[in-house]
Amino acid sequence: MIAKIICYALNGLEGIPVEVEADVNKGVPSYDMVGLPDTAVKESKERVRSALKNSGLLFPMNRITINFAPADLKKEGAAFDLAIAISLLKASEQLLGADVKDIVFLGELALTGDIRPINGLLPILISAKSHGFSKFIIPAENAEEARYLGEAEVYPAASLSEVVRHLVGMQPIPPIEMKEFVPGRHRRASADLKYVKGQPIARRALEIAVAGGHNMLMSGPPGTGKTMLARCLPTVMPDLTFEEALEITKIHSVAGVLGEEGIVSERPFRTPHHTATTVSMCGGGNKIVHPGEISLAHGGVLFLDELPEYKRSTLEALRQPLEDGCITVSRAGGTFTYPARFMLCASMNPCPCGNYGSTDRTCTCTPAEIRRYRRKISGPLLDRIDLQVEVDNITYDDLTSEDSSEDSASVQKRVNAARRIQRARFEGSSIHTNAEMGEKEIQEFCTLTREGDKILRDAFERMKLSARARARIIKVARTIADLDASEEIQPKHVFEAVSYRLFDKG
Amino acid sequence: MYSSEEKAVIYAAAVKGMNNRAGLAFLRGEGVLRRLTREEEAATDAAIAALERQGMFLVTCLSKDYPELLRNASDPPLLLYGMGNRELLSRRKFCIVGSRKTPKFAMEAGERIARELAEHFTIVTGLAEGGDSAAIEGALPSGSLISVLPCGLDTCYPAMHASKKETIARKGLILSENPPGKGAAKWSFHYRNRILAGLSEGVLVLSAAKSSGALITANRAVDYGRDVFALPYSIGIEQGEGCNELIRSGAMLVTSAEDILSFYGIETKKKEKPVVEGDEGRILQYLREKGESHVASLAEDLGMRIFEASAALSALEIKGLATKTGGNKYAAL
Repeated sequence: MIAKIICYALNGLEGIPVEVEADVNKGVPSYDMVGLPDTAVKESKERVRSALKNSGLLFPMNRITINFAPADLKKEGAAFDLAIAISLLKASEQLLGADVKDIVFLGELALTGDIRPINGLLPILISAKSHGFSKFIIPAENAEEARYLGEAEVYPAASLSEVVRHLVGMQPIPPIEMKEFVPGRHRRASADLKYVKGQPIARRALEIAVAGGHNMLMSGPPGTGKTMLARCLPTVMPDLTFEEALEITKIHSVAGVLGEEGIVSERPFRTPHHTATTVSMCGGGNKIVHPGEISLAHGGVLFLDELPEYKRSTLEALRQPLEDGCITVSRAGGTFTYPARFMLCASMNPCPCGNYGSTDRTCTCTPAEIRRYRRKISGPLLDRIDLQVEVDNITYDDLTSEDSSEDSASVQKRVNAARRIQRARFEGSSIHTNAEMGEKEIQEFCTLTREGDKILRDAFERMKLSARARARIIKVARTIADLDASEEIQPKHVFEAVSYRLFDKG
Repeated sequence: MYSSEEKAVIYAAAVKGMNNRAGLAFLRGEGVLRRLTREEEAATDAAIAALERQGMFLVTCLSKDYPELLRNASDPPLLLYGMGNRELLSRRKFCIVGSRKTPKFAMEAGERIARELAEHFTIVTGLAEGGDSAAIEGALPSGSLISVLPCGLDTCYPAMHASKKETIARKGLILSENPPGKGAAKWSFHYRNRILAGLSEGVLVLSAAKSSGALITANRAVDYGRDVFALPYSIGIEQGEGCNELIRSGAMLVTSAEDILSFYGIETKKKEKPVVEGDEGRILQYLREKGESHVASLAEDLGMRIFEASAALSALEIKGLATKTGGNKYAAL
């Protein structure tokens, strides 16, 4: 008898339906698998055999053929185990009366018959739902992840015998209750701007950066709280919408880094170490491509501490995703595109010893050393960082002062207001924030007054700004004007924008 | 065209490799100045032609346009290689030097002084970063700039300034006493510094630590009886100790180009003052009173918002009235 069971394979963030067909025939006992299974899928033979036996079910001693369709797609991972087991049971007539049509089975089996969680459940569920499936049996440990799927019958099962009892109607599993998405439900309250002492200028730059979606670079001596400032970035960013949260959760689910909450409710903050390779940053792998740090930071912040310490090739690889908001990686197993729209926040010391430019401490670096240090960051990368700000040396008084600073929530309110203005401005286009403006939008939305233009001209001469700096200054000035709720870009906005350019000056 | 005497010097220095620092007396005593044989003259012509192909010219201590001041120094180079605008040699010259690690405000001041002095003098300096670069930035647009290299004119030290060197050769003049192909050695900087001081009527030191190449130039200037000027520094800045030391021992204190020009009796036109608007005036006043200040403390004392203060300071910076000195601190100029 032949049985047909639906399962799902992942291709990037896209789920692809796979039919598992089992044929149990008379003949010399054998067990064959066809349809491009990889090693992990082939090994399921032994898992399925033991799981059936240990669940009190029979493993048919017949001639067994398992086929995966479509036959030309490579099947990888252990998520097919449950589907294979069910198809065998169905084909060997052990599931009489059970209706397995239109149910998607997902899960890895343990030898005891328990069902283990799988990676990438949410993207599979979302794809399957869009393909018209509405009944799912999933590992119980993945249940949280499925709670935000919306209208669908999702049955969490902890073991194979539970599934069998459910299917034959002996002991139905209650479907999981869906949850309403609440942004920031699982916020870890450790970072907040109110704990950042001093640093008025860096705080302001941070506000502007988030308001306009600009990338930012902080330069300052070691131990001045650059990292702490950066950690506050997600707390002032606008709350996640459900769609954003789902998209981020999909990526995290595929990468297997999803926490217990089942959904990402807070903007991600990723801090890859400076020894990170290009592959770990951008994504890659042997056959299937895992999302890299830039994709995990999608919708949130990618923080690169000590920017010049990163490998140059790794930094250069960031340029294209910074521009396009996604990354395409090609491997033997196929070509995968992952979203990667993140805010880049970087920090660096002004020189190798950290004291360059400080008036109270002497820098012991030679000019050549400083040059070499700064040259590690290429011009094209700096081009994509709109705000560059110096972080102050903290004094003892700052650390002990009682008056607490403004908290993240009030900064977030101003950011939200500025974002609202931008949403209205870019209505109907693919742009969301000022930082994404191209030359066309700049001309359309950022007309300078005659006075403002003269200021910029003077600034170029006096501060020897590079020509590329012009567009960035205008974009930042636009954001500052938005924060000020000002329709036109006034001279003071331009002046302030100019003050956030550190590395353009001669 | 070179006279027969000049050719004799070129033959001795460029072909035979006579010590370029041997002195004028040596030139007369050793019978260098003789009529060259036909072969010797051919070799000299060939050497000159080879240099000219590289765009260089030669100035001997017997040439008409050999700078008079340098000739009167105690140990002038017998032969100078040049590339660029030869006429600059016969103009009035003033030297501006500073150490490689010149603080930001001194860089700005140096650039401004160089720009204004360049209307009356040809600025003489080296090619290093720091003080030299400030002088170059200021004087290069007008073309009144001589850069003296410690190596041959076809090489460049530091190598990263190669394009800067070429720009100077095009708009101004680069000089060296070293033949092409000779690299920079430790001592060649000392010998180069004597040319800087020897060429110039006066030397302005923008910055100098206790022992610094800029101080050597200043000391040579004193030996040659030239005027020495220095920027003043506040206490505790390493890069200013040499300057303060110079002022203590009698160098002229300089805060603007007028100080130098009036010393030489040159009248300056009144410059039109940049317009200071709104809060900028208050801030400028504050910076003048308090000296270098952090944006935050300035904003607090003046009762302004931080970003208003940053914007106004930026405006002052663009107008050339204040400068960012690092660590979000600003100073008036």
